[in-house]
Amino acid sequence: MKKKSKKDVIAYRKGCKAKGTGLSHYILMDKKAK
Amino acid sequence: MTVMKKKVIKDEAAPSRGRFVNTGNGPTFQPIDIGHREYMAVIEPDTAFWSLVKHKKIADVISAGDLIRAFAGKSKQFTQEMDRLRFGLTPSAVYFNPTERCNMNCTYCYIPEKMRRKGRHMSEKKLLEALEILKRHFGKTLSKGSMPQIIFHGAEPLLNRDAVFAGIEEYGNDFLFGIQTNATLLDDEAVLFLTSHKVSIGLSLDAPTAQIADRTRKNWEGQGTFKHVLAAMKRLNGYEGWSVICTITFTNMRHLTRLVDFFHEREVPTCLMNILRCTLPPSRSLKPGDTAAAKHFLAALDRTYELYRQTGRRLTVGNFANIILAIIAPAARRLMCDISPCGGGRCFFALAPNGNMFPCSEFIGLDRFRAGNLFEDDISRVMDSEPFRLVTGRKVEDIEPCRRCAIRHFCGSPCPAEAYEMNGGMNSTGAFCEFYEEQVRYAFRVIADGKVDAYLWDDWDKGMKDTFTMGSS
Repeated sequence: MKKKSKKDVIAYRKGCKAKGTGLSHYILMDKKAK
Repeated sequence: MTVMKKKVIKDEAAPSRGRFVNTGNGPTFQPIDIGHREYMAVIEPDTAFWSLVKHKKIADVISAGDLIRAFAGKSKQFTQEMDRLRFGLTPSAVYFNPTERCNMNCTYCYIPEKMRRKGRHMSEKKLLEALEILKRHFGKTLSKGSMPQIIFHGAEPLLNRDAVFAGIEEYGNDFLFGIQTNATLLDDEAVLFLTSHKVSIGLSLDAPTAQIADRTRKNWEGQGTFKHVLAAMKRLNGYEGWSVICTITFTNMRHLTRLVDFFHEREVPTCLMNILRCTLPPSRSLKPGDTAAAKHFLAALDRTYELYRQTGRRLTVGNFANIILAIIAPAARRLMCDISPCGGGRCFFALAPNGNMFPCSEFIGLDRFRAGNLFEDDISRVMDSEPFRLVTGRKVEDIEPCRRCAIRHFCGSPCPAEAYEMNGGMNSTGAFCEFYEEQVRYAFRVIADGKVDAYLWDDWDKGMKDTFTMGSS
């Protein structure tokens, strides 16, 4: 099977409304990991 | 048909069309080695724009013009995005210390020993009054539908448990509440109350065995917290809103990989592995070297990836997830220590038990940064006070070597408290640099290898829009 070649350039960016509130001592867990 | 003439940009500093990289009005593209066998990163630091380019294609990509043109079409948008993130946010969280006291005497604590031994509690009446003042303030400053956040923080907040629980009971509809605790007082009753009120709970544990963990996190008689944290972890198993913080020191750094196994086995949803803050002198005795700390930290990240591949279940390391987000979706970052200015005094502030206000908990032991009192002063005026402006005005552009560092917006040059207390001033760096370099280089390798999803959480990009995509074979 032919190995899929990687791209010469990878560049992407996503945007959303900024809400950053936390500091390194704590993180509010409204996102759960599986 | 109307022919649109290309608009001449009149407000540029020089008569250059910006056709060439790194000269005139052209973009500043800094290539950096990320330690990857195939890719290097090319970064435009001011906008936090990045691309990964195969080593042998670097010259072609930079000179061919495609990347320049693609970036030029987005640079204004990215500049605005970074400006809003760095200078346009409104405070929405308070690190609320309901007591000065702690039953622990952890080596690296940033709260002075005298306070922790003999300090005072905030009374229940005053705590409720404080929450009412904060509710009114945020009601005026935040948009409708935004919930401000209150984190009960230490010292040990559960030493003043009745007052804290009364506040959560009374204002549960007005704030998102969280509590950071050493777990020694987190009994069944406390867990039941906090989980039934959907309070986020943060525990602290530095190592997978009592022998190592208890060296740094111990009470005044020298007894460690390990067994208490272990019991609390069992009680919290199955609850979504909890996490464990590990502080990386010289003492525990060799055991981080085993700590990842320990957390994963006990189904910890998220952990933080924060490098030690060296604000006060006692913590500096535990300072690890940058190179060694980075080596062990990155090995721990490798282990989270292996465990995910083996079991299909993640252990998200929150502070590292934040670095990945800082690169691929800058505005989605949730922690604000790795952006400049940091979040202290502009996204959140800290409240001491007597109502005194500080830009961040890290400053609570430093009287120079006491900016006003919640019960006596207008919050907005405190936000504009000189101590707050000292912190909110600290930016990477004024710090050497950060001002010319390509990853300055993926690192943020933390921490202002360290810089001020340890290294002589706000325009100094903090305690670490190479550690942060290695962390960002690792994040770029994760992106290059297409492994981002393994380090974040499900639906991490829900509600986000693609603002840039470029890829060619």
